[in-house]
Amino acid sequence: MDTRPPSQSEHAPLLTASGLEVLYEPAGGPPVHAVRGVDISIGQGQLVGLVGESGCGKSTLGYALARLLRPPARIAAGTVVFDSTDITNLDRKSLRGIRHNGLAVVLQSGMNALNPVRRVRGHFHDVLGAQQRLHAAEVDNTAETLLSQVELAPSVLDRYPHELSGGMRQRVAIALALALKPRLVVFDEPTTALDVIVQRAIMDTIARLQAEVGFTALIISHDLGLVLGATDQVWVMYAGRIVERRDSPALATGPLHPYSAALLACQGDPTAEKVELGGIPGSPPDLSKPPEGCAFAPRCWLSGPPCKEEPHEKLVGTGSVTCHMAPTKLEVPKLIRRVDGPSEPIPDSGHGAKVPTTASAAVAKGRGRHRDATTAEPLALIDVTKDFKTKRAAPSEGVQAQGLVQAVAGVSLRLEAGQAMGLVGGSGSGKTTLGRMIVGLERPSSGSITLGNLRVDKLRTRDLPRYWRRVQMVFQDPYAGLNPLHSVGYTVGRAIRNHQGLKGDDYRRELLRLFDTVGLAPPEHYAAKLPHQLSGGQRQRVVIARALAAKPQVLVADEPVSMLDVSLRAEILHLLGELRKNTGASLLYITHDLLSARLVTDQLVVLRQGHIVESGPTSSVLRSPSHPYTVELIAAIPTVQQSQTVPAGAITERPGEPV
Amino acid sequence: MRYVLRRLPVLVITLWAAVTLNFLLPRLMPGTPAGAAVAKLAGQGSVSASQRRAIEVMLGVPHGSLASQYWQYLKAIAGGNFGISYTYFPEPVSKVIGAALPWTLALVGTVTVMAFVIGTLLGVLAAWKRGSIFDTAASVGCTFMAAFPYFWTALVLLYVFGFVAGWFPIRGGYSASVSPGWDWSFFVSALGHSVLPAFTILVSGLGGWVLGMRNNMMGVLGEDYIVFAEANGLSPRTVALRYAARNALLPGVTAFGMALGLVVGGSLLTEVVFGYPGIGYLLYNAVVNEDYPLMQALFLVITVSVLMANFVVDLIYGLLDPRVRR
Amino acid sequence: MRTTIFRVAATLWANRKARAGLSILFVFAAVAVLAPLLAPYSPTATNFARSAPASWSHPLGTTGSGQDALSQLLYGTRISLFVGFGAGLAATIVAMLVGVVAGYARGPIEVILGFATNLFLVIPGLPLMIVLAAYLPTRGVGTILVVVSVTGWAWGARVLRSQTATLAAREFVAAARLAGEGIWRIVWHEIVPNMVSLLAASFFGASTAAVLAEAGLEFLGLGNPSTISWGTMLFWAQNSNALLTGQWALLVAPGLCIALLASAMSLVNFGIDAIGNPRLRER
Ligand SMILES: Nc1ncnc2c1ncn2[C@@H]1O[C@H](COP(=O)(O)OP(=O)(O)O)[C@@H](O)[C@H]1O
Ligand code: SF4
Ligand SMILES: [Mg+2]
Repeated sequence: MDTRPPSQSEHAPLLTASGLEVLYEPAGGPPVHAVRGVDISIGQGQLVGLVGESGCGKSTLGYALARLLRPPARIAAGTVVFDSTDITNLDRKSLRGIRHNGLAVVLQSGMNALNPVRRVRGHFHDVLGAQQRLHAAEVDNTAETLLSQVELAPSVLDRYPHELSGGMRQRVAIALALALKPRLVVFDEPTTALDVIVQRAIMDTIARLQAEVGFTALIISHDLGLVLGATDQVWVMYAGRIVERRDSPALATGPLHPYSAALLACQGDPTAEKVELGGIPGSPPDLSKPPEGCAFAPRCWLSGPPCKEEPHEKLVGTGSVTCHMAPTKLEVPKLIRRVDGPSEPIPDSGHGAKVPTTASAAVAKGRGRHRDATTAEPLALIDVTKDFKTKRAAPSEGVQAQGLVQAVAGVSLRLEAGQAMGLVGGSGSGKTTLGRMIVGLERPSSGSITLGNLRVDKLRTRDLPRYWRRVQMVFQDPYAGLNPLHSVGYTVGRAIRNHQGLKGDDYRRELLRLFDTVGLAPPEHYAAKLPHQLSGGQRQRVVIARALAAKPQVLVADEPVSMLDVSLRAEILHLLGELRKNTGASLLYITHDLLSARLVTDQLVVLRQGHIVESGPTSSVLRSPSHPYTVELIAAIPTVQQSQTVPAGAITERPGEPV
Repeated sequence: MRYVLRRLPVLVITLWAAVTLNFLLPRLMPGTPAGAAVAKLAGQGSVSASQRRAIEVMLGVPHGSLASQYWQYLKAIAGGNFGISYTYFPEPVSKVIGAALPWTLALVGTVTVMAFVIGTLLGVLAAWKRGSIFDTAASVGCTFMAAFPYFWTALVLLYVFGFVAGWFPIRGGYSASVSPGWDWSFFVSALGHSVLPAFTILVSGLGGWVLGMRNNMMGVLGEDYIVFAEANGLSPRTVALRYAARNALLPGVTAFGMALGLVVGGSLLTEVVFGYPGIGYLLYNAVVNEDYPLMQALFLVITVSVLMANFVVDLIYGLLDPRVRR
Repeated sequence: MRTTIFRVAATLWANRKARAGLSILFVFAAVAVLAPLLAPYSPTATNFARSAPASWSHPLGTTGSGQDALSQLLYGTRISLFVGFGAGLAATIVAMLVGVVAGYARGPIEVILGFATNLFLVIPGLPLMIVLAAYLPTRGVGTILVVVSVTGWAWGARVLRSQTATLAAREFVAAARLAGEGIWRIVWHEIVPNMVSLLAASFFGASTAAVLAEAGLEFLGLGNPSTISWGTMLFWAQNSNALLTGQWALLVAPGLCIALLASAMSLVNFGIDAIGNPRLRER
């Protein structure tokens, strides 16, 4: 893709948008200004990435460009021109013509993009039949060709969507989009929610198809690493605006906007000798009250007095950046670092004032209050298996067909007191089941789990609450993990009352201390909040505080960062590392994300289909993997070459002048 | 088909539970229905020992263990021996019911299916044109329509079209001038008599289906596969029918099964108002005359019919939804 | 729990349909309470001309036994509201107990309760009510209330059961267990408050069914014919062939009241639906 010449100059752009504004006007709520004045164009044959944290308006922009917005969303201003036709206000019928002429969309994750009661063949007949009058046999031929292009067998034609895996469904969706002979395809988060290895395979397929078929593509993703590796140009979106627009290699090596730089710093290579990770404190602004001045200012470590004014777009080479301070030498503060050997959370210094490490100070204050590390005991699993009966519910319940699935197949492992162990594997590898058995939420079908000399798998239900004073769990989904109706103070408080039996002032003090410990300061302020009033990262801190209320010796963390934006990953990992250091608790860290495993664990266990395929010290497993599955997992990570400095003088202040 | 086999045990257990409920009801109630029934029958004429026995098996006897009573009862049910009707003395209950059942099946069965089909189509239309005048009118109208008791609608229709306008006969299932049989004049007469009851059931039942289908459609229209189908340039008709309505129908079919009981109840009242010679009117007469053997058997027949209809609906659901098949 | 109820109530009031429904319900409630003040005569007084047509002194005419129909209509509101809300409440409580236990419990309890729910769901309600009412020695409002409650809980139980099962599988329930909460506390403080709108929906659904069932049973003569209610008014109107004598008001007025009450409850339920399903939300 490096050989492709810089785009715009060669061809007329295929798609342009100017002054695009999108409003959501929900019933009984304030209007949300999700896209605020976007000017972009995509040249023929280009592969463009659109990145940003969730809620920045990426999907909305993608839908607006494809004219798929529906009420309560509408294009409030601006124009969209596709192939020199203004499609901004095109009626439904003409729009169908445009779609048949090559404007295709692949939706977020694609899991639900297929009609559940229609076979794949039916989908192809609908799409191809609507487009051109073809005989059934011709449609079948075309469909088989399209399926083979996305590496699926013709037999898939006779399957229903529920008989296909998530990855296969996404491939079918791509094949259907290709049936339109598209000239532009908008991919909205094409791989989110898929297994890591499948994600990689789908991205490879997209890249190959693009090269073969030659369509132009817009790939929307929250994952900068994934986009950088797969595109020619990247647009970084923040709070409804494009803040940086650059060729991918240039962005990877020299981001100009602090937001892009910070997003880049949230990526890392888990196999490197030294791994560092940055984060972005806070969260994107509420677009129902668009901020004045630079929207990124509250989270920007460079913000200064000029930032009270809205920054203007400055052209840089073939791209642009919208920031007052560009070009400054951008050094992004890092939150957590790991070199071969012991873990090394970064102390507050340098840019510390802007970095959310209140947690470190608070943890230091609370130090020594926790149980001594010496009382901690090892956790041992011997030959643990778990079978699940698969239930298939009938329409109005009643009998079920039963099958047996072995989620965990003979796992033995030992977590020493105070140790941090990672449990990694793709989806369905049995990680979560194993974690739930360790905390006693599930019972093994066979084998034994012991903590010290306590047989966990033999515990009676009424003895479990006592066990939970020693072993606690941090749940995956901070949105489902908190009861939406209770204040977070109540939620954490219940755990304190139950596990520590505190009342009155002692209780109050402990509650505030815990909030402080997880970096929610001032604690009084946060304790009164309901979950929906907090951001995802803050909620996950509450979830951690609740687990800490029991003062556990063992903490099982099940994908604690997977539902959060990458920008929050470093903060939470940093917090977990600090807590472990200060409480002496051992940590079982369950994840599919090798980078975070590298950063917080000493030992690594790789799980595949319920079996352990490899284990050992984290850095040696990652840096010299021996099992092919581990190799595959590592290969699935998009790698980005990065360096955070910008060559001086690369920026021109005069708009419109080519460099 | 394995799906049918899988559903069969549920049907059998449910049927058994219904039969048992029917056995327990008269025995749990205060008083002795069997004694009362026998006493009434005695007033009609002589009651033979076997007739008396049949009633006791159905409604409870003062002697014998519950288990043996249950066994006798099951045997009687299997042989279709429900005892003697007091109202239609000396006809056996089974014969009385046998004469009424076809009327109800023809009327209620046909009209219920019609109401479901028409209501569902209107619901699809309302959702597809959401926010339009048609949608608003349909929603408001149906809410109100569904709120009228069946029997009241029946009375009003009877008054307006039967009594005032005189377009349709106001009572019975066929006119006195024809006799039941497979001939044309009887058919025409029966059809004329069924117009008002049918219209009542249709009008009262329609609203629920329209509203239900509209809501289901609104839910489905937000699904990813609808957006994707639209993005793929499918015609609005295809999207509306083959993608949206087809999926919105599934909860509708489940609801149809669950609402059958309600529809049957309403239809019974309609029959009473029109003096239609079906099961409902029969039940009414049985209750008014305290004809317990007839009443009890009718309850069993109605329940079993609804359960069977539900089973059929379940099977249809299996045909419509590939996810529960296999 | 209390705050949730207030929140649901406020959201309801913001919905146009629900607001219309609630307003109608308030009017009916006011009429029921103020019936003695509003009614021109005693509803049981029989000292008027029989079967009189509508006139200034008797806007709806008089019944076959010489009672003022308007006064009966106003007083009748009481019974309909009482049976409607009483049976609705009773059925909802049964539905909640059965639904929550069946949804949260495992093993035979779950299976048995689930089966009972499905059974009562498919057994046709009105015939069962008729049979029950026919056997019971006393006939009256109390009997009808009991009969309607006994037969009306299954739908709510089914909905609440599946919602409970869904909520019980959510992470916050597992988290509450790990936080040391006991089973009852989890049920009452974590699960049930998240079902307030469903409980309200079951309540209004069961109440609507109860109003219609009560009218039906009384119309069939299975109530106490000397009670003053809309159902018995219809019963007497039918028995005295009011239609054939041109006294259609005796029939139309109670019928309209029943329909208005039932639609008001349905309207409230549309509002509740919209809370749970934002796609149904209107401008
Ligand atoms: N249906 C909706 N109603 C109101 N606001 C919405 C709706 N959908 C999205 N938004 C808002 O629009 C903004 C952009 O959302 P989205 O385009 O989904 O962002 P992204 O794809 O970057 O995650 C967010 O603030 C979001 O809350
Ligand atoms: S304009 Fe100021 S606040 Fe905004 S990104 Fe640039 S430096 Fe930061
Ligand atoms: Mg998105």
